[in-house]
Amino acid sequence: MVARGRPPLVDALVAAGFVVRLREPGEVGESGDDDRADVVLLAASLGLRRVSQLSRRLAELDARHSPLVFDDGDLSALESCVRAGFDFVSPPYSPVLLRTRLSSSWERSRVTSAGQRRAVDATVSEYERDLSAAGELQAGFLPDVLPKPLGWELAARFRPARMVSGDFYDGFELLDGRRLGFVVADVCDKGFGAALFMALIRTLLRHSAEHTPATRAADGASDLSPRLTFGAGPLLHAVEDTNRYLAHNHLRQGYFATVFFGVLDPLSGGLVYINCGHNPPVVVRADGTRTSLRPTGPAIGMLADSSYQLGKVFLNPGDSLFVYTDGVVEARDVAGRRFGSDAMLAAVRPARSAEALLDTVDDALRRHVDGAEQSDDITMLGVHRLAA
Amino acid sequence: MSFEAKSHVWDGIATIRLRGELESKSAGRLNRVIEEVATQELHRMVLLMDQLTYLSSAGLRSLVYAHQKLGRGVEIVLVGALPEVAETIRLTGFDRSVVMQEPTGA
Repeated sequence: MVARGRPPLVDALVAAGFVVRLREPGEVGESGDDDRADVVLLAASLGLRRVSQLSRRLAELDARHSPLVFDDGDLSALESCVRAGFDFVSPPYSPVLLRTRLSSSWERSRVTSAGQRRAVDATVSEYERDLSAAGELQAGFLPDVLPKPLGWELAARFRPARMVSGDFYDGFELLDGRRLGFVVADVCDKGFGAALFMALIRTLLRHSAEHTPATRAADGASDLSPRLTFGAGPLLHAVEDTNRYLAHNHLRQGYFATVFFGVLDPLSGGLVYINCGHNPPVVVRADGTRTSLRPTGPAIGMLADSSYQLGKVFLNPGDSLFVYTDGVVEARDVAGRRFGSDAMLAAVRPARSAEALLDTVDDALRRHVDGAEQSDDITMLGVHRLAA
Repeated sequence: MSFEAKSHVWDGIATIRLRGELESKSAGRLNRVIEEVATQELHRMVLLMDQLTYLSSAGLRSLVYAHQKLGRGVEIVLVGALPEVAETIRLTGFDRSVVMQEPTGA
């Protein structure tokens, strides 16, 4: 069995009379005994990408059969594995059911010869390997961890519709840690093209923001207090430089990205932002009042001569900010109905943490989608100021 | 989710009627229609949108693509966009590049 930690299924299998060897995902193929297992079980919660990699690794080791995916609590992860063609086991994990299920899987695997399977695998795998490699490479363009300034929390959810995506989010310190920059963006389109532009735009925005000195003035920031002006220069220049670069070099390709870029002063709670044609993020106050942060300029890469205004808002203790991409509001259920802004707004409620804020929205979203196939990338970022 | 784009060119004006849902899956079809009409000498492209029920960001990319492809000399007019579709266009700021009109005779 390959899982993180020790899932309850281990005990159920032992009770049913099986000998279980438990491996962490990173250990597969290292100890040399994986290929001797009669049945290999992969935890669905590892996610489709990891499950596919492990399955290929097992095939390379000449394991005698396709692995089974088992339900360890993450239903949507299980569903995406099953949709991708993996055989599966799900609760109740009673001894009788488990014995029947596992032995039928073992019998079936003896019928399909390993040779047949390899022939099929070879045709699919070259493209899949490329795709999977691209997905992993792209994951390197997302932050490993989000910054955690004193008194603040950031959290994110990121679920690409395919192996590669056009959505991204980012969070990084600016001006020696005196400001916190964060970005949520959606490159129009999906797949490889969007993924290449995602990597480019993320890099341009971050590089430009990190290398603009605070002293470089921001036009249009004259009505801001000195505190807010401090972070406004890097913000405005990052957005304008990125737009100019894309418009000069890539306009013909017709790609554009909607971007929300915020620069937060953790001490005062002051946030300056530029909303480049992006779905309006929602500020939810501790008392439940909501405000939307409307666009302050067009999407990036759409027009060469776009001009951008700065927006500002203060986040007080207990307030949160919810930033998302259109994959959230446009997520469809099996009947094709979209989740919609109203349902999403209703789920953006005062929360005690950034994680709790996202959990509430994500729960409502998952209840709506209810296992329907995901057609667009889904990204959410929560920023929460802890109550004093 | 069906999508249809019917085009017609007369006297330098290309008229394209959009119907259904314009999203990533249908965007390619509209791009081809645009490429085809763009081979002719145009000074205006009119998109009839009153039967376009949905426009995603990937779908909007087709319109942006048309704008880049045709260049500044060609005016793009969007006619009769439904409120949700118009909102998507306005949110991204693309309304600054085109002319948005109510349906004629309304």
